[in-house]
Amino acid sequence: MSEAPHRHAGSSALRAAETPVPEPAERKLRCAARGIEKSFGATKILRGVDLEIPEGTFAVLVGPSGCGKSTLLRLVAGLEQADKGTITLAGRDVTNLPPRDRDVAMVFQSYALYPHLTVRENLAFGLKLRGTPAAEIESRIREASAMLGLEKLMDRLPKQLSGGQRQRVAMGRAIVRRPTIFLFDEPLSNLDAALRAEVRVEIRRLHDRLGATTLYVTHDQVEAMTLADSLWVLNGGLVEQKGPPLEIYERPRTKFVATFLGSPQMNLVAGKLSKEGGAFWAEGGGVRTRVDEERFGDALVEGREVTIGVRPHDLCLAKGDAPIVAELKVEIVEALGSEAFAHGWIRSSGPTFVARLDAADARSVRPGSAIPLAAAPSAIHLFDAKTDRALGD
Amino acid sequence: MERSRAGRALHALLAVLAIVATILFAPACSEPPRGVVLWHPYRGGEEAALKKVVARFEAERGVKVTTLAVPYEAYLSKLEAAIPRGNGPDVFIGPHNRLGEYLLHKLVAPVGDALPDEDVPAYEPVTVDAVTHEGVRWAVPLASKCVALYWDTRLLSEPPRTLEELAAKKGALGAGVWPLAYESHSAYYHAALLHAYGGALFDGGFAMIGPAAERSLEKARELVTSGAAPDEASGDLLKTLFSTGKVAAVISGPWLAADLSDDLPYAVAPLPEIEGVGRMRPFLTVDGAFLSPDGAKREDARALARALGSSESARERAETGKQVVATRAYWARADGERPAADDRHAALLRAFRDASADAIPMPVSTAMNPVWVPAEQAIRKVLRGDATPKDALAEAKARYDDVMRPPPPSPSPAPLVIMIGLGLLAAAVAIVRRVRAPGFRRELEASKPAYKYVAHAAITIFVLVVLPLLAGAVTSFFAGTRDDPRFVGLANYVDILTARGKPLLSHGSFYLTLLVTVAWTVVNVTLHVAIGLALGVALARPMLRLRAVYRVLLILPWAVPSYVTALAWKGMFHRQFGAINALLATLGVEPISWFSKFSTAFTANVATNVWLGFPFMMVVVMGALTSIPKDVLEAAEVDGATRWQAFRLVTLPLLKPTLLPAVVLGSVWTFNMFNVVFLVSGGEPDGTTDILVSEAYRWAFARNSQFGYAAAYAVIIFGLLAIMSRVLGRVGGGEAKEAAS
Amino acid sequence: MNERKPGLLETILVHTVLVAAVAYALYPVLWVVTLALSKTGGTEARVLPLPRGAEDLTLDNFRLVTGVGDPEKGWLFARQLVNSLVVSCATALTAVAIATPAAYALARFDFVGKRTGLRGMLLTQMFPGVASAVPLYLILDALHLLDTRSGLVLVYAATAVPFAIFQLRGAFLAIPVDLEEAAMVDGATRVQAFLKVALPAARPAIAVTALFAFMSAWNEFILAATLLGRESAFTLPVVLQSYVGEYSTQWGAFAAGAVLVSVPVMALFYVAQRQLLSGLTAGGVKG
Repeated sequence: MSEAPHRHAGSSALRAAETPVPEPAERKLRCAARGIEKSFGATKILRGVDLEIPEGTFAVLVGPSGCGKSTLLRLVAGLEQADKGTITLAGRDVTNLPPRDRDVAMVFQSYALYPHLTVRENLAFGLKLRGTPAAEIESRIREASAMLGLEKLMDRLPKQLSGGQRQRVAMGRAIVRRPTIFLFDEPLSNLDAALRAEVRVEIRRLHDRLGATTLYVTHDQVEAMTLADSLWVLNGGLVEQKGPPLEIYERPRTKFVATFLGSPQMNLVAGKLSKEGGAFWAEGGGVRTRVDEERFGDALVEGREVTIGVRPHDLCLAKGDAPIVAELKVEIVEALGSEAFAHGWIRSSGPTFVARLDAADARSVRPGSAIPLAAAPSAIHLFDAKTDRALGD
Repeated sequence: MERSRAGRALHALLAVLAIVATILFAPACSEPPRGVVLWHPYRGGEEAALKKVVARFEAERGVKVTTLAVPYEAYLSKLEAAIPRGNGPDVFIGPHNRLGEYLLHKLVAPVGDALPDEDVPAYEPVTVDAVTHEGVRWAVPLASKCVALYWDTRLLSEPPRTLEELAAKKGALGAGVWPLAYESHSAYYHAALLHAYGGALFDGGFAMIGPAAERSLEKARELVTSGAAPDEASGDLLKTLFSTGKVAAVISGPWLAADLSDDLPYAVAPLPEIEGVGRMRPFLTVDGAFLSPDGAKREDARALARALGSSESARERAETGKQVVATRAYWARADGERPAADDRHAALLRAFRDASADAIPMPVSTAMNPVWVPAEQAIRKVLRGDATPKDALAEAKARYDDVMRPPPPSPSPAPLVIMIGLGLLAAAVAIVRRVRAPGFRRELEASKPAYKYVAHAAITIFVLVVLPLLAGAVTSFFAGTRDDPRFVGLANYVDILTARGKPLLSHGSFYLTLLVTVAWTVVNVTLHVAIGLALGVALARPMLRLRAVYRVLLILPWAVPSYVTALAWKGMFHRQFGAINALLATLGVEPISWFSKFSTAFTANVATNVWLGFPFMMVVVMGALTSIPKDVLEAAEVDGATRWQAFRLVTLPLLKPTLLPAVVLGSVWTFNMFNVVFLVSGGEPDGTTDILVSEAYRWAFARNSQFGYAAAYAVIIFGLLAIMSRVLGRVGGGEAKEAAS
Repeated sequence: MNERKPGLLETILVHTVLVAAVAYALYPVLWVVTLALSKTGGTEARVLPLPRGAEDLTLDNFRLVTGVGDPEKGWLFARQLVNSLVVSCATALTAVAIATPAAYALARFDFVGKRTGLRGMLLTQMFPGVASAVPLYLILDALHLLDTRSGLVLVYAATAVPFAIFQLRGAFLAIPVDLEEAAMVDGATRVQAFLKVALPAARPAIAVTALFAFMSAWNEFILAATLLGRESAFTLPVVLQSYVGEYSTQWGAFAAGAVLVSVPVMALFYVAQRQLLSGLTAGGVKG
């Protein structure tokens, strides 16, 4: 995938089209990073990243491995130092400060609990270092442990805890600190699926309850979608797109973002624009569909080479006189109970294609059969074939 | 790919193993041809001369002679081990004063027809006297060794007649040049002075007492305090000073000549007189060819011993080996031949021969051995000005008498038997209980596979490690020497633990030594760990330049043999010539007499041992550091820890489990670190820096071979360490165990 | 730790400490080297271990020790060097061969006598070996291994085994059991799991253990001199020790010998640096 151009290099038209992150004027920025660059040896990890997190926001950095999201988090924590750029926390320039002077708390992927200290001592560690009065430490620990249900584990050592318990201790250690900002570095990746879903909800609940500001790094799009107020998609050391998660989901600005978010992935087919009877159509690879002229506006030019994108969820079995967008040759049907996914090809040699079907419709679909698919023109995404950028944005 | 690499590695390993096995076993299994076996402690010219003599003997007699040069350090123990087992030499060369020990361990037989009556006139009378003990001749005298005066012909026009005349040259010789140098701390050298005053070191007991001995000590002190002679002069230092023209005359033996350059202008003369007292008379030792009991039965061996002393042999040994041979014929011929004027070598030998005329043969008795240490302690004390000669000598005699105290009468073995019986009973009960315990058979059955893995290790350790130690432990119930043991039950232990009847913290008592040992261990291990930690942490820093270079250089003390570096350290702590004092002088510090005070001598020992030991701890720390998860340290950083706090509160506790066993082992090693104490301070001053092990060694080797007593020390040390390690293990291991449960 | 660039002051401080430590480590060694290269010897009243001058420099001590110019002695020295290498390598191999299975069993199996054995092994380290040469001599004689290098190797190896077991047991404890269990599920026997899985995983620790055993054999002389019966079988430290006489020591030769003896060990250290670290890391000397 080609490199996405820098976001701020875009035209004013582009900027105007951008839906701003809900950012009421009275809300101050808790964390801001400007023009961050960072290399390890010859490898450029971050190539000029800006980040803004208003107070009370749950910001999530998401991206494939190697995109620089963890590095950015560690830069905010002070565990690494940027080659270029500045970082401010609560209005204070902390670019050159060590972590201890930044008033941040971090939950590590491996939890990084102090193996030689009990849960209670782990929680108290940071407070003691800051010379917090004993009574205060006690009350904060009591509060945090109640919040996380750690009361019965207080005198255990980390190695005597389960993975979920350790994870909660790690959060407790951050909570008692009442920091300017909470930093999470893929905190759920060492938990099993059921626990992960549970803790995910709990993290969001804690965030709301504490009125905290959070910066959360993950490669998991479900976490990203469910947790974020403000989502930052990183790719190749740059911010590819930022905004509320739903907006990004609905209006991905590049092909990369479009495929990275959403599961199963968005279907992509190479095609061309044409105009028939005053309406614009996109056609290619066995797909033929009308496009939303209002959305794409001037970008629609007859004969333009585009990539046509449509999410599996936006497809359905074509019934009645609904226009058929494509005909899917079904290979496998994944029935999930409430819904089903049909995997197959549009043409015998074409790219794989996935469509979501209603459970009732899926029942009659057999592998090997061909089914007609329909989609609303508003669900059709178009990307420039050369730049991979979304049309109309 | 992977498989072939592994295969190649395996082949290479097998090849190496095959080569090693060939070398190990092939020559090892071939028996030496049964000729005559000759052992000697010679090297260099002396060895070359001996080889020529032996070659001639082999040619003339048609007998194969196998020679073996055994280092002096291992000579006696090797003789002692080999001869009773029939593996020893037929003939061996050694100094006559070891005869007492040879006799005690039954290592010698009378020479018989190797030195028949008709041969006696062919040898210098004094040398024949030396090898004669209680009317029996025990060796063929080969060469004599005694000290004489080397004088620098540039600095002196003629050899000084008296010591006073020489001492008076001070100042006239130029700045920084001493008139005289000798190993003033050594009783062997001091004996020459002592003899001049009519005193003696040994007369069947400690004889260095009374007015003659006191006056000799006063004289020695006068030489040092007046600046006529340097203090603490070691053999190596004498050589350097004399070679570089820093001293006009030195007292030393023929061995010094071998180390001096040929173009150094010097001559040798007999020792000077002490004005109004008499001539200084050194000790004489005579190298003799001894016959082992087996060798004495063999005609070839006796013939070899005789041939070694013959005049042809003497000529070879004098000319190639530069020995002061005991054979008169050589000197008679040399006299007749009138050596060329520039034949320094001949002149040198002649001078030593002249000096030997006045010399006093070293006593033969084994009771002489324990004289040296107390005598030297007295000499050093007086030279330092710590005691009057009278007091120092009285103390030395008391110490000698204490060491030589006859072993206690054989007690009834009852207490020991009861103790051992009770011990065995307890063990038996424990074993029976264990065996009776339910499921024991099943457990034992389940253990079988494991035994296959441990059996060979268990057997090897038991046979080659535990058995010798057990043998040692058993000796602790005996007194006397190994060949003449007397069962004394627990008397050795009682003696040690009651401080030999003296006050508990008196000089050299077990408890005082224990205190020193504990201090020694604590100080050393603390410094090892502290330095190891500091360097380990420094080397673990990210982006450290020259890391690999530092690492290798810092491991260096580990790589060089410690018996060499310990001696280098001792040289560095010399008061007048040591590098440390020279270093301090540049900082304006007065020179320190390192070995004259407990505190400084202890410091010197510690400096050496810390040097030897820190690399191990450093490596352990470096290893342990890499096993600390990086993110835990980052968490501490985010939690607000400074570097120091992170180190103290996180790194250190996490290092503890790895460090603790290393500390236990390190403590055990340091507790028993005999080398450093023995080689650096040698217990100075006055035996105060001795630790328990060096005390044990002294009982075994310097105090009339009281192996039982030494073994009792060893067993007590063992007990102390076993207790210590348990305590340490419990203190440090408590949390870890708790955590693991 | 964190990757922030350390401050200049801190860097200077760290290097100062390291350089001071290197000076401490190097100083006596340089004296030994100077001594080995000096005609007149001696370390008198000089701060820096530098030779007195060009005219005092000589290689005679090295020539003397190695027997350059004296074919017979040179040949003997070469043989003794080979002896030292062979004996030390064999000691390392034997010690590892004996210690590895035992350490493995002590790390993985539960068996009757395990605790006693472990404790006993630590105890052997505590008994000072005052005069154990003679009992060893008798034992080797009884085993008909006297005057053989294999006997000496056996003694050295046995002495090195307890420490080796401790170290290797720590290494095996640090290796996850899953690895061997996986191998056994795949059809390996216990012995195969040990040989093919645990052993390779413990390689760095084994290398370190071998190095320790090698060094203990490489520097020992009392037992070598006592237990070996022919000069051509002697190891280098014995030869070195022969420069120490009853009345005088040939310091120059002694120092030159020491330098020669140290060179291979230093080379080994340099090569095995990384192994040394990771070997001690893998459980280190955990008890």
